Amino acid sequence: MSLNALPQLLLNGFFAGSFYAMMALSWGLIFSTAKIFHFAHALVFTVAAYGAWMVASQGMPIVGTFIVAAAVGALAGLAIDRGIYRPLRRRNALQLNVFLASLGVLLAGEAVIQFVFGVQARSIQGFTLSPLRLGRAGFTTLEILVVVVSWVVIGAVVLFMRTRQGTAIRAVESNPELSRAMGINDEKVYRNVFLVGSAMAGVGAVLFSLQETASPTMGIEPLIAAFIGAFVGGIGSIGGAILGGLLLGMMENLGGIFLPGHLQVIVAFLLLFIVLLVRPVGLFARDTKA
Amino acid sequence: MNFWFHVVNLGLIISILGFSLNLLIGYTRLISLAHGAFYGVGAYAAAIGALRLGISFPWTILFSIVVASIFATLVAWPALRVRHEYLILLTLAVQFVVTGVLLAWTSVTGGGSGLPGIPRPEAFGRRLVSPPDFTVWLTLAAAASFVIAYWAGQSPFGRVLRAIREDETATLAMGKNLTYHKVAVFTISGALAGVAGSLFAHYQAFVSPRSFDLDESIFLIGVIVVGGAGNLVGTIVGAALLASIPELLRLLDLGRETVGVAQKFLFGSLLVAFMLFRPEGIVPEGFRFGRTRRREARAVGGALAPEAVDATLADDTDDDAAATRALERMEERLADSADQPQALVRDPDKPGILQADGITKHFGGVTAAEDLSLTLSPDRVTALVGPNGAGKTTVFNLLTGFIPPDAGTVQVDGQVLDGLAPWQRARMGVVRTFQDVRLFQQVNVIDNVLVAMPGQEGERLSMLYSRPGVVRRQERDNVDKALSYLEFVGLRDRAYEPTAALAFGEQKLVSLARLAASEADVMLLDEPASGVDRQWVRAILRFIERVSQEGKTICVVEHNLDVVRAIADHVYFMELGRIIAEGPPDELMSDERLAGIYFGGAE
Repeated sequence: MSLNALPQLLLNGFFAGSFYAMMALSWGLIFSTAKIFHFAHALVFTVAAYGAWMVASQGMPIVGTFIVAAAVGALAGLAIDRGIYRPLRRRNALQLNVFLASLGVLLAGEAVIQFVFGVQARSIQGFTLSPLRLGRAGFTTLEILVVVVSWVVIGAVVLFMRTRQGTAIRAVESNPELSRAMGINDEKVYRNVFLVGSAMAGVGAVLFSLQETASPTMGIEPLIAAFIGAFVGGIGSIGGAILGGLLLGMMENLGGIFLPGHLQVIVAFLLLFIVLLVRPVGLFARDTKA
Repeated sequence: MNFWFHVVNLGLIISILGFSLNLLIGYTRLISLAHGAFYGVGAYAAAIGALRLGISFPWTILFSIVVASIFATLVAWPALRVRHEYLILLTLAVQFVVTGVLLAWTSVTGGGSGLPGIPRPEAFGRRLVSPPDFTVWLTLAAAASFVIAYWAGQSPFGRVLRAIREDETATLAMGKNLTYHKVAVFTISGALAGVAGSLFAHYQAFVSPRSFDLDESIFLIGVIVVGGAGNLVGTIVGAALLASIPELLRLLDLGRETVGVAQKFLFGSLLVAFMLFRPEGIVPEGFRFGRTRRREARAVGGALAPEAVDATLADDTDDDAAATRALERMEERLADSADQPQALVRDPDKPGILQADGITKHFGGVTAAEDLSLTLSPDRVTALVGPNGAGKTTVFNLLTGFIPPDAGTVQVDGQVLDGLAPWQRARMGVVRTFQDVRLFQQVNVIDNVLVAMPGQEGERLSMLYSRPGVVRRQERDNVDKALSYLEFVGLRDRAYEPTAALAFGEQKLVSLARLAASEADVMLLDEPASGVDRQWVRAILRFIERVSQEGKTICVVEHNLDVVRAIADHVYFMELGRIIAEGPPDELMSDERLAGIYFGGAE
């Protein structure tokens, strides 16, 4: 393939990467703090998308749709933490068992959505897109929206992490026992990370459904992008998750130079394999351990 | 009628997959989200072998086994270098890549429409066509797979797997090569998935990527969770239950789509409910485990005699009395020296002298060890003392290879240990205990001792299946030896109890028996007397004294100066990662400067 497509691919990579960065940050925040391999994050994403679809189809303007989706996502995430994870924490369940419960929640929840809404895909209305050009590269106003919203949300979360609440989150993340001894209420911290992380997933769900469609099993694909972004960047590092997501988006698109389109999914996993083998702590993690 | 045979047949194939996955999840606590992929690789190997490579029926099964086990081994190799949560991610990645390749590589795999027309097998000149024709053969295959998996799980190999599950660090410290065992369990798991895959391909006469996707992987995990992790009988229960649910739902006449949804909902809810309310599954691990073990116990000479059982009951009410009794038993044992565990008699050709020179380690700006040199020899008990944070435990970590030093060298009897992993050092005769004991809690007491024994043929897969008789004979001898080690610490009567049921003092003694069972010459004991009452301390000190008399090289890290005075002949005094004094205990303890550092907390 010729390099003429390079500007376009870089641009596409940045669009996709911005969305991945937000998703990686949202999942990574929960994983690194609550130490839960939160597979059901995909369900939170899906539930928020359906919530957004319902209000959007009633004529809600796009700004309102985002707010509703964030709220629905936050509540869904909180409900999963309170209903499933907290009882397991109290029982000192193995991390593996919490993960398996999370898988179960995802399956059961997807089944409920499928039962209520059917299997057909839904698209969210309310945003009219028009094409734009920048030199040889073309894009749309929707892609601009994705980039702007993703970075606004990322920025808001980065600022939030500097507040008192955010500091408590970082304390629990780096040393739960010590922070408990210092009087930090860890249950409150878990609540906060689930609220913040899930609200981010809700916003992401609207962006995703505007570009593609909402369906009962829509959540798994962005979830995997979030995993890969978070791990490639480095668990526990906010900057790492953001850069990891961006890198993933870039690689997927630039991989198109060498590989046919349907193998793009393999590029993502290849990136993951290589990073985990060469630098298991993640590319952008501070290497604190000797 | 055919319908029910079909359900049974599917249940049998799922059981085989369940055995395979249970070895990973239940025995070793290695999660795999790629089991659908392993299964698929096996099924496609049989299909492609039969359709494109002209391999005929029974050989397709062998071909599948080879391909799937090689595939699983290749996946395991990189995956096992990383931490547990990464394994979820890596196996998930493998699952997606395999599904992606099956869909995309149309010229070989037939893509999304799959490969039809796989020949049905023939048995005794008759072609198997309908489900009932297959049932007998599938039952035989499932039974054979059960035996293979059971043998792996109950053998010394399986014991190491459980030890890894309970505590990787302690397993490493006992001289076990974790990587070998983890890769090997993936290999055998892949082989069984290959069996299941090839049977499925011949049974359905058709394979397509949908049968081997992430949903299948999660379904198989569900079989393990519901049936009971670590128990193969539970796997059969789980497979029977989960294989029949969709078929039973179909009888309810709900309509195709609703059945799919209901099945998914039920399945997901089951996973959650079991994790919340019955994480051990329908058939818990100990269910079969306990019974078998007790039978073995009787075979070895009635370790659970009636009076011993009575003593056990009394132990629970009075910890101090239990300590005294253990001590008395130890004394009796020691008096009767003809009955010593053989391994305590040392190899006279090996002096057992450990020599460390110039060991240095910095963590960032913190000095953990600075130019440490020390000599441990069998003719004296050595103690490392010093205030908290002096780096005493770090010295053990450096000597046993848990932390690589920045500089310096360690040798035992002239053999250089530098660069060797902890398990290699343990095999060369340097073992350690841990402050927090680190016993394998969810197995029986005797398994803690058995796992430490060196040179077990049954830990190697190749021996396990080629020489089962040798393995079994050696195991019988080892059980006898393990019991005598337990007797040595006065705990023979607790051999077949779950370790978690023991008091902390008893656990400390078991950890000493485990140490002795390793047959190592150099023993590093990290705070052997901490956290237990005086009676237990006496029993522990008696053990140290005795083992030292037998010519073992002993080094202890100890805070209790009375203990140091009682057992140590030579003391290294450490402060801030340096050895600042050495000599006989009385001499050092009367030094006021050292006393000031020790008690005053000058820094």
